[in-house]
Amino acid sequence: MPSAVDAVQLRGIGKRFPGVIANQDVDVTIRSGTVHALIGENGAGKSTLMKILYGVQRPDDGTITIEGKGVVLKSPTEAIEAGVGMVFQHFMLADNLTVLENMVLGAEKLHGIGDGARTEIRRISDRFGFDLDPDVLVEKLGVAARQRLEIAKVLYRGARIIILDEPTAVLVPQEVEALFVNLRELTAAGNSVLFISHKLDEVLDIADDITVMRRGTTVGTADPRTATKHELAELMVGSELPSPETAESTVTETVELSLQDITLTDEFGRDLLSGLSLNIRRGEVLGIAGVEGNGQSELVETIMGMRIPTSGRIMLGDQDVTHWHTRQLREAGIGYVPEDRHRHGLLLEAPLWENRILGHQTKAPSVKGPWINRKGARQDTERIVRDYDVRAPGIDTPVRALSGGNQQKLIVGREMSGDPVLLIASHPTRGVDVGAQAAIWGHIKHARRAGLAVLLVSADLDELIGLSDTIQVILRGRFVGTFDPAQVTPQDLGAAMTGGEAA
Amino acid sequence: MSTTTTTTPRKRGVVERLSKSWLYIGLIGIGLVSFVRIVTDTDDLTAAGTIRAAIIATCPILAAALGGLWAERAGVVNIGLEGQMILGTWGAAFFTYHYGPWVGIAGAALLGLVGGLLHAVATVTFGVDHIVSGVAINLIGAGTATYLAEAIFPEYEGGGPRQLNGLEAPTQITIPGVSDLANTIADKHWFFVSDIASFIQALTTNISTLSLLVFALVVVSAVVLWRTSFGLRLRSCGENPQAAETLGVNVYFYKYVAVLISGALAGIGGGFLALVASSGFSTGQTGGRGYIGLAAMIFGNWRPGGLLAGALTFGYTDSLRLRDTQSVHSLLLLVALGLLAFAALRAYRRQVRGAVAVTIAGLAVLAWFLSTDSVPREFTVMTPYVTTLFVLALGAQRLRMPAADGETYRKGSAG
Repeated sequence: MPSAVDAVQLRGIGKRFPGVIANQDVDVTIRSGTVHALIGENGAGKSTLMKILYGVQRPDDGTITIEGKGVVLKSPTEAIEAGVGMVFQHFMLADNLTVLENMVLGAEKLHGIGDGARTEIRRISDRFGFDLDPDVLVEKLGVAARQRLEIAKVLYRGARIIILDEPTAVLVPQEVEALFVNLRELTAAGNSVLFISHKLDEVLDIADDITVMRRGTTVGTADPRTATKHELAELMVGSELPSPETAESTVTETVELSLQDITLTDEFGRDLLSGLSLNIRRGEVLGIAGVEGNGQSELVETIMGMRIPTSGRIMLGDQDVTHWHTRQLREAGIGYVPEDRHRHGLLLEAPLWENRILGHQTKAPSVKGPWINRKGARQDTERIVRDYDVRAPGIDTPVRALSGGNQQKLIVGREMSGDPVLLIASHPTRGVDVGAQAAIWGHIKHARRAGLAVLLVSADLDELIGLSDTIQVILRGRFVGTFDPAQVTPQDLGAAMTGGEAA
Repeated sequence: MSTTTTTTPRKRGVVERLSKSWLYIGLIGIGLVSFVRIVTDTDDLTAAGTIRAAIIATCPILAAALGGLWAERAGVVNIGLEGQMILGTWGAAFFTYHYGPWVGIAGAALLGLVGGLLHAVATVTFGVDHIVSGVAINLIGAGTATYLAEAIFPEYEGGGPRQLNGLEAPTQITIPGVSDLANTIADKHWFFVSDIASFIQALTTNISTLSLLVFALVVVSAVVLWRTSFGLRLRSCGENPQAAETLGVNVYFYKYVAVLISGALAGIGGGFLALVASSGFSTGQTGGRGYIGLAAMIFGNWRPGGLLAGALTFGYTDSLRLRDTQSVHSLLLLVALGLLAFAALRAYRRQVRGAVAVTIAGLAVLAWFLSTDSVPREFTVMTPYVTTLFVLALGAQRLRMPAADGETYRKGSAG
């Protein structure tokens, strides 16, 4: 029920970090009992604004009014007292503690840490259909359950204003639907939700009001009943949304990569991958869809030689490469865009040109004889920066200083150099902004036209459908369905990914 | 629709249950020792004297291990335990000389706490690598204690530049009836019963109150860390400090408290060495027990019961080597049997490779035992270390350290 007093009013919020203006003149009004969506590209300042509203960071300028009262939030504790709760994009849960322990942490005074708390958790869980068992370790929970736990945590503290930072990024469509049902129940009970996203379909589906941010400031509001995706996109980026769609098929008859009955067993005898077979032909993009943790990473690591399959055979062209080392595979022409660029793709503290050498340390132009060819490597880095539009102050800049999109473009540029025959791209556009996303899609399409075989693993179903020639769905280490992207919908894929019927 | 899977508790077999309970493991262990004692005719293995020595050898390690537990549960690796212990030995000597043993213990804790404070300032406030800071504290601790001893103790009665003897020890307790009864039974050398009796005898005859205090601290730590909201907050700082911060937990505060307590416990361990384990202070008397305590804690899977078992293993083997070499030779049989039992457990769980490896190791030790009459003198000195290492290597199969252990945490890094 919308009441007369607005739940939250943010006026003229500004926040500066050394060298960066994260927020400037931000105005947002959240009406009570509504879902208010805040949209914008990565780096538009949404997360900073959220941290300000949740007391993690303090604004340099501006005022915060919560339920009619002006407040100064110095810490999350004060935000919680004011009735604001936040669900972070990266869950704030301790895996090795139970649901109950995670729930009561920091709020032990409310219901104790024993049976009183247990009862209260069951009550919240039943009321909103969260399905949470207080005594299970969090590490046993799936992504959707963790998210429900995060929301329950906020409710347990008596929050009336709930901030959700990109809550759907990790969910499959059916889970998103379920989440939206939960959110509607929350607002019906008088709570207000601030929903941060850059997925416009979902925003139009769930929001009562929309505020758009660009470059650290609010650039407009929209009414979801009348606004279109197109208009929102223009507000967000000032240009049209890029589309991942590819042109006509370029698939050839030559099989570049062939997996035959690959099984991977872990040290405890559990199958991580069971009997996987696939063929990727030159000029073909094979998409792998699946809920995270169903064997995608293991599949990619097996192909890259980081794990050796327990049984089965891997053929690259007409060579058996099952037992090859990663370096041999890379020298044979496999390019690899890893799923976590910080852990696997880059040395964050090293300059661009040194990162250019990584993985190519046995090939020209990175080396000359036994020595590193500084000049050659630097020149080639200049080429990548130019051709792949990597926006960096210079090639001696440490990679850490680059935005996620530019880091990813550097990786794609590096992996495309040296004429690869196969590209393995794991979540190539995860956490990059719309502009970089379009550029990376462009490079993949271009490579495909040039006859490259591509294995594309992604959680972004639109990306998979748009770029792939074939989509395989992986569930618990098995392929459970092959789809033609021309005909499949994200809902179909989501159903196959969770092993059930569409909700 | 949801992807949660409801886990139904799996029915566990008898072997599974037995191998999970410390009580049963303890009883089986005593049974094994008793068996070996009778087979090899080495009554020393479970003589009350041995057990008393074992308790005295265990306590300093136990205190250090507890110190490690507190720090690491809050996410700070404290390899400075050794240095804090050394500071504790000096503190105990100085304060006992002036004010008696109980103030001495407090002084040991205080000096350890100062070491902990250094570590906390370095790692929590300034984000120094925990290992680097810990090594520095070990060097500082040893250096400071040596310097202070040389500067102060030569003036004292019974003192010299490297030692201070004749310190008053904390009270010892004997429970008259129980002690004598246990003594009688222990002297019968019956299987199992007498072994238990000598255990009771050791616990009720001339036991130092400080030993009892150290064992009590294990229980207190377990209760505080796992049964109070203070403990929950402290542990959350070791598991996910960002999450804790977003819930209003003052992470720095809890890390400081944990490291200070950690240092104080290590200091008490040092104090025990100076006041109970020997009759006075001498430089270098910790002999690496801080590291052994840390190892015992890791082997104990960052849990109080586990670190107790680890400390007892070390303490027991350490006391045996002090008795006579015959006991160490019998210990070989004990180790062989222990390995074979462990191999059987592995085989039961169908971990074939592990079972084979452990069986081979067990048979090798058994062959050594059968083919010799004694163990070289040089070897006996390293027995406790080798045994603890063995147990550690075998036990350390599924260790689960606190998730954010050893990581530098910066406030405001959440989200």
